[in-house]
Amino acid sequence: MQSQDRVRIALLAGYAIGLHMLERLIPTPIPWLRFGLANIITLIAIMLYGFRIGMMITLIRVFLGSLFVGTFLGPAFAMSLGGGIVSTCAMAVVYRTLPLLFSPFGLSLIGAFFHNVTQLALAYLLFVRRIEVILYLSPIILFLGIITGGINGLICGFIIKRLEPEITHIS
Amino acid sequence: MHRKDRGLIKELLKQTTPYDWLLLFFLIIVSLSGLISMKKFLPSGSLVTIEVEGREVYKLSLFQDRTVEIKGPIGTTVVEIKGQRVRIVESPCPNKICIKQGWISRGAIVCLPNRVVVTVGSGETTGGIDAITR
Repeated sequence: MQSQDRVRIALLAGYAIGLHMLERLIPTPIPWLRFGLANIITLIAIMLYGFRIGMMITLIRVFLGSLFVGTFLGPAFAMSLGGGIVSTCAMAVVYRTLPLLFSPFGLSLIGAFFHNVTQLALAYLLFVRRIEVILYLSPIILFLGIITGGINGLICGFIIKRLEPEITHIS
Repeated sequence: MHRKDRGLIKELLKQTTPYDWLLLFFLIIVSLSGLISMKKFLPSGSLVTIEVEGREVYKLSLFQDRTVEIKGPIGTTVVEIKGQRVRIVESPCPNKICIKQGWISRGAIVCLPNRVVVTVGSGETTGGIDAITR
């Protein structure tokens, strides 16, 4: 691993953890509703530096974030880890195979969708065990995911657009 | 920020692709149709009726977690609704059959000594009790 990569991972993971912690402070009408702001950083990492760095940042964020909050190895940790890994993979696969089809907006929607589907599946396997509860919740969660994912995608697109001149300048 | 807000929104929307909107449209359709079909799919047994000595004392939603205390002829029965299930937590009856029955999400729990009947149904009255034998 190049030292440049290490700096990027450290910096972006720091941002991701910061956003992850920050959004815990924002009150939401439903306790499990989160904005997924850290996903902005993951998506930026995937689009600018590739899947490997994006995944590293997600893993660092989930592990360190849960250690800071105190949910490490708990049920919330399993949900966070599963959702993070699957959504990162989904966004990276779509971005790799069809690079110009979707903008960050669409990619973020895909990420949010897979994040929610994974978490619903994990919630079923780990806690609820009642498929009708999951089925009842899933449309609501998916719909909220579209809204938060879309907003995150637009923010991500904005940041990437502002970053691009500098990045081409450096590399 | 140098530009005005309208310019920013325009800029953000300009970078999206038609496929983004197709995806957005598709996801909204999926979740909304899911939302609508879920309402129909839900089992009709969503109303918890609690009767004491044939009188209806409570009509509660199965989807709202709460605990209620019911005064019966021989004491207080505590009924708990949680996670779309109902159970009797406490009962003054000697055999505690009602407590042993545990959680139910359909059907009924009957505590004969305290004359408490908890039914999960669609809201139509079950017709009451014809006779009680001991």
